[in-house]
Amino acid sequence: MTSFPVFELRQVSQQFDRFLSLDDVNLQIYPGERVALVGSSGAGKSTLLRLLNGTLLPTQGEVWVLGQNLSRLSSRKLRCVQRQIGTIYQQFHLVDSLRVIHNVNAGHLGRWSFWRAALSLVYPLDVKTAAAALHRVGIPEKLYARTDQLSGGQQQRVAIARVLVQDPLAILADEPVSSLDPTLSKEVMDLLRTLVQESGKTLVTSLHSVELAQNYCDRIVGLRDGKILFDSPPASVSAEMIDALYHLKD
Amino acid sequence: MNQPLLRPSLLNQRFLWGSVMVVAVALSIYQAGLFQRDWLNWGGLAQLRQFFQASIQPDLSPEFLHLTFDAAVITLAYAVCGTCLSLLLGLVGGVLTSEVWWQSVFPRQAQQRPIWLTVRAVLAIPRAIHELIWGLFFLNIFGLDPLVAIVAIAIPYGAIVSKVFSEILDETPRQPLMALLNSGVAPLSACSYSLFPQAFLDLLSYSFYRFECSIRSAAVLGIIGAGGLGYQILLSLQSLRYEQLWTLFYALFVLNGTVDFTSAVLRHRLGSPSRLDLNLRRANRSDNRGLDKLRDGHPPPLDGYLTHSGNAAYLILTRGQQRQSGDPWVMLAGVGALLLIPFCFWYVSADFSKLWSPRTVQLLADITQSSLPPNFDREQISQMLALSWQTLTMSVLAIAIAGIGGILLSFPAAHNFFLPGGLLNPVQSSPSGRLLAWGMLLLTRAFLLITRAVPAPIWALVALFVLFPGILPGAIALGLHNLGILGRLMAEVTENLDQRSLIALKAQGTPASLVFLYGVLPTTMTRFLAYILYRWEVCMRETIIVGLVGAGGLGRLLTEQLSSFDYSSVIVTLSGFIVLTFVVDWVSSRMRRSLR
Repeated sequence: MTSFPVFELRQVSQQFDRFLSLDDVNLQIYPGERVALVGSSGAGKSTLLRLLNGTLLPTQGEVWVLGQNLSRLSSRKLRCVQRQIGTIYQQFHLVDSLRVIHNVNAGHLGRWSFWRAALSLVYPLDVKTAAAALHRVGIPEKLYARTDQLSGGQQQRVAIARVLVQDPLAILADEPVSSLDPTLSKEVMDLLRTLVQESGKTLVTSLHSVELAQNYCDRIVGLRDGKILFDSPPASVSAEMIDALYHLKD
Repeated sequence: MNQPLLRPSLLNQRFLWGSVMVVAVALSIYQAGLFQRDWLNWGGLAQLRQFFQASIQPDLSPEFLHLTFDAAVITLAYAVCGTCLSLLLGLVGGVLTSEVWWQSVFPRQAQQRPIWLTVRAVLAIPRAIHELIWGLFFLNIFGLDPLVAIVAIAIPYGAIVSKVFSEILDETPRQPLMALLNSGVAPLSACSYSLFPQAFLDLLSYSFYRFECSIRSAAVLGIIGAGGLGYQILLSLQSLRYEQLWTLFYALFVLNGTVDFTSAVLRHRLGSPSRLDLNLRRANRSDNRGLDKLRDGHPPPLDGYLTHSGNAAYLILTRGQQRQSGDPWVMLAGVGALLLIPFCFWYVSADFSKLWSPRTVQLLADITQSSLPPNFDREQISQMLALSWQTLTMSVLAIAIAGIGGILLSFPAAHNFFLPGGLLNPVQSSPSGRLLAWGMLLLTRAFLLITRAVPAPIWALVALFVLFPGILPGAIALGLHNLGILGRLMAEVTENLDQRSLIALKAQGTPASLVFLYGVLPTTMTRFLAYILYRWEVCMRETIIVGLVGAGGLGRLLTEQLSSFDYSSVIVTLSGFIVLTFVVDWVSSRMRRSLR
């Protein structure tokens, strides 16, 4: 690839108290890629995603996003970079007590002025964009519903609609379907894939199931004990590689 | 998506209640005469300055320190004894007023409903009457005896504890209890093996909170002559010895601060961080259950936990481990309580035999006789209506002051807000910024502690330095006192906030002010309002205690009638007050329901 990477990790290590979550990781992710992070619990998938969206700064090494070294940025500049990254979480991370429209409009918050945002809480603004986003994720009728009255699958759709409104260059997803049943999981993954393919966005998602990873992504990164065990296209991921991935050290 | 959805009307129930609130506050301000007549007494400013000046030079002579220490121990002892008795009463009352108990005793619907509804109604009356009124009443019976303070705390608190305990028991999952009952176990044994252990932490957590309140009540009861810090404070204030007054104040701050801090630490260690989850409890529980279900199906990975709530997840994990291995701090507190309780009962040496002595029975009979028939003359009724209106406006003003102040101060007082790594702060921050944040935190916490530690009647007397008598000084005094309590409760709400949605907002580059607007405020505001409304009910009852020092309202009339032994009028005024209390409780509970 000729273009330069959206995300780049240079010799990154991340330490939590006594626990080494990531150990000297190097990784480059290019525009338009759909990358799955797989590995067992505690392998460092979520830590890696937090490093990529700038909510965590590495204890060692450098994280470069869109050509910027995140550790070197002021908080204002960091926010500018973060606006170009949308994140979807396993447990949705929505504000339960707000109506769906406000949670979807929260995607605008990186751009909106304080007064515009405050006014919108009383009299929802940009309803058209929000309605279109909800239509896109398949729950147009929930525009004015309260978020905590939605089912898990619907809440994840609201979270995706929020990212749609945010319109970032890259989408990170942390176990986006682990709280959902298999049918819903498939629907949500289909939706995610269509969305990134249409607009040429980059997707990095951690997934519990290797099968989902093989079906929906074009590159699979296997993590074990904070290190990258393999990094290859789905077709060349063999059963032995998967076994090695989930086989813990004794 | 052919036709757009209709925007829901802004004219909903919340909006309606919101306007009711605004109108009520406006009317109360009008009633207090804030913009109509002179309410500020400039002549008192010098006195007020003297009062505050004395704060930096308290009386530290050995004799006075000794007296202060003694008074502090008495106040503590009243609180401990009062809390113990109220918990005993509350435990029995709580079981007897819980729906679940009667359901297990009489499994048939028709029999049980009237029983627990009656018990509940009966308990509502002692609850409606403030400790101070109970105190004045028992003062007439027992004379100046420590028993007055203890019983005056035990009775209303017992009724409050009953109500809360019964709610906790009713909201505890019942399947284990039903399983035991269905296999033929007797109700009490079945409860002891299922319901009680399940609810234990919640009950304990609430008991700690009651003890915190009890310390404040014990100080107030001192004012009517029961002794302790409140009594000494009143003496010093009346003889204008401000240096002594401040020594006593500092003792009160230390006492309150220690109790509040210990209670917070213990609750945290026991793993029940929120002290009372007013009316949102049910919703939360079901939420949690829902989440648990999700987790059972698809256990989230460990690092997933770390992602959504960083250190909070760690806390949960470590807390669980500590409980298994027996936390030394909790053990220490348990041993401390075992030693403290007998000591306190010994120290106050109240004459409990007075409770059933023939003289008491005789006096009670006399009072009952003299209070009948109630004195319903027309003049008194019209006076009472006017005073009820005054009382109501005082409570509304007070809660407006306390609510607004509490919300504003609760944020700087929460340790996860402005501090580095907090909700609003970026990851890095300069040393000076950190110092400023810590300074602000300590300053607001100290302010909240001072306002809640000083009893409301004392605030009223201080307010009377510069204000003309009326409902305004009473409202300000109650407002200040409740501000301290509310500010702390609200800071705890912010500290226990579910951070996941905030992390999501921050991750997409939202500036701090908007994280606050879209993440913090919507989540905390409903709780804040619930606390405010709940505290309004308390404020209504507390109007009595500022009435004592002349702040007006029904409280003043009632204390006058009580001290002149005019029981036939007392019973009328008291009934009027109870009705007013019930009205306020009803409105408050309706408003809280519309918040859900």
